[in-house]
Amino acid sequence: MQKILTHSEKQTFDLGKKLAKALRGGEILALTGPLGAGKTVLAKGLAAGLGIKKTINSPTFILMKIYQLKAKNLKLKANKLIHLDCYRLKNPQEIINIGAKEYFGQPNTITVIEWAEKIKSILPSGQTKNIRIRLKGANHRQIIIDK
Amino acid sequence: MSKNVNRIILGIESSCDETAAALVENQGGTFKILANVVWSQVKIHQKYGGVVPEIAARNHVKKILPIIDLALKKSKVDKKNISGIAVATGPGLITSLLVGAQTAKTLAYLWQKPIYAINHLQAHLYANWLNNQPIKFPAVCLIVSGGHTELILMKNQTQLKKISETLDDAAGEAFDKVSQLLKLGYPGGPIVSAMAERGDAKAFKFPRPMIQNNNFNFSFSGLKTAVLYASQKFSPKKLKSYKLKANLCASFQQAVVEVLRAKTIKAAKYYNAKTIMLSGGVAANQLLRQTLEQKTKKMGLKFLTPKPELCTDNAAMIAAAAFFTKPTPWQKIKVDPNLSL
Ligand SMILES: Nc1ncnc2c1ncn2[C@@H]1O[C@H](COP(=O)(O)OP(=O)(O)OP(=O)(O)O)[C@@H](O)[C@H]1O
Ligand SMILES: Nc1ncnc2c1ncn2[C@@H]1O[C@H](COP(=O)(O)OP(=O)(O)OP(=O)(O)O)[C@@H](O)[C@H]1O
Ligand SMILES: [Mg+2]
Ligand SMILES: [Mg+2]
Repeated sequence: MQKILTHSEKQTFDLGKKLAKALRGGEILALTGPLGAGKTVLAKGLAAGLGIKKTINSPTFILMKIYQLKAKNLKLKANKLIHLDCYRLKNPQEIINIGAKEYFGQPNTITVIEWAEKIKSILPSGQTKNIRIRLKGANHRQIIIDK
Repeated sequence: MSKNVNRIILGIESSCDETAAALVENQGGTFKILANVVWSQVKIHQKYGGVVPEIAARNHVKKILPIIDLALKKSKVDKKNISGIAVATGPGLITSLLVGAQTAKTLAYLWQKPIYAINHLQAHLYANWLNNQPIKFPAVCLIVSGGHTELILMKNQTQLKKISETLDDAAGEAFDKVSQLLKLGYPGGPIVSAMAERGDAKAFKFPRPMIQNNNFNFSFSGLKTAVLYASQKFSPKKLKSYKLKANLCASFQQAVVEVLRAKTIKAAKYYNAKTIMLSGGVAANQLLRQTLEQKTKKMGLKFLTPKPELCTDNAAMIAAAAFFTKPTPWQKIKVDPNLSL
């Protein structure tokens, strides 16, 4: 477990960028934390670290957004990033219905999930990395990364 | 659009939580809504504090044929006289979109009618045409809804170019999340704006995100977070105060409206727009309508916005968009939850 304090949006974004460097394909990043914690900010950093140029905005309304990756280095086997947001869900079954679960753990896919606690029961534990974000007042966040 | 031809389109919309059908006639360029039926799931979703996709899809399945039937009856149009069927194929929730698309395909096949695959966002734009007012180009259009906040440049009535978008949350999403933060219920937009009318918009100094930036992009997550911080300064008991919540809502709404106004006006100046259009669910917001209209008129430009009930999701706008779209063979109709402009 790793505990990190960030003191600005930029620091959380940069942390996402740094985390991206260790990704190979098949990883699931399960983000939890209240409204405004910075889950989307972290996801944006991850996407930037994976070389995505497109705007990453909140998937709350649409549930799932898919972004293509261009292979930049040989270590990265994934060719897409799946950005999920379970804020509106009541039942994990809905994620299965929209076809999102089929991506989980696929070597060609990296998955980042906001409000992941809502679908905990269907996340493959072996491939899931939990990242919790805590609000520590304006501009400060504690980010707890498992493993 | 060819003049002097009378065409009637059946529109079908099921991209989010409304199931809707409409019949829209176009006679020599003039639009007439013959029927416009919307069955809203708001009451069903209210107890969960938002749209539940699974429930939404199931209800679309139940409601779609009765709604189409009702629209046909209300319009008194015989299906023989329908010239085509239009359906929203994205963006939206995949399970919901599929219901509309499958229904439209089946009807088109059975009735032997052309089918039009409509981008839901374009439809929000073409809702402006239902006002039957002459439109001068270029036009700068603000689409502001639950899932989107974008500025579009229209060089003529079919050439669209996205100028900017939100970098994080959409404005409607921010309304819904603020409503959730203050435990006001769903849907956030109408509730927060009703509360705002009773509050003091100067009570809280919320940020105006990106207002000074040189580009035309939006950002609303900072504003959401500012409301969160402000509300955390009060005890849960104090937060129950109506006055306090009304002040938070009013100050929040003021900030959203100012940012939307400033960016839209800046874009209109930059692109020498002759018209400013406002549509999408949040365009139902009275303060936004008034603010943008006043400013537009001061600049000597034309302001257009659909009636509030044609701003939120409906099928008349889907039918209207069909008049500017080429048909697609039914075999090729595909839904795309991430469709963009
Ligand atoms: N240290 C920080 N790290 C991340 N974000 C921060 C930090 N300090 C302030 N912020 C602000 O907090 C907000 C985080 O919003 P964001 O939309 O990313 O949260 P979220 O967790 O995705 O919320 P939601 O539950 O609505 O999806 C942003 O406005 C950001 O500028
Ligand atoms: N009077 C109002 N003031 C502010 N917001 C409003 C008002 N009425 C509705 N809204 C907001 O509009 C949004 C719904 O708009 P719309 O029906 O176009 O969204 P959607 O179709 O779900 O999203 P999209 O069009 O992006 O796919 C909700 O977020 C709702 O809170
Ligand atoms: Mg988010
Ligand atoms: Mg809409």
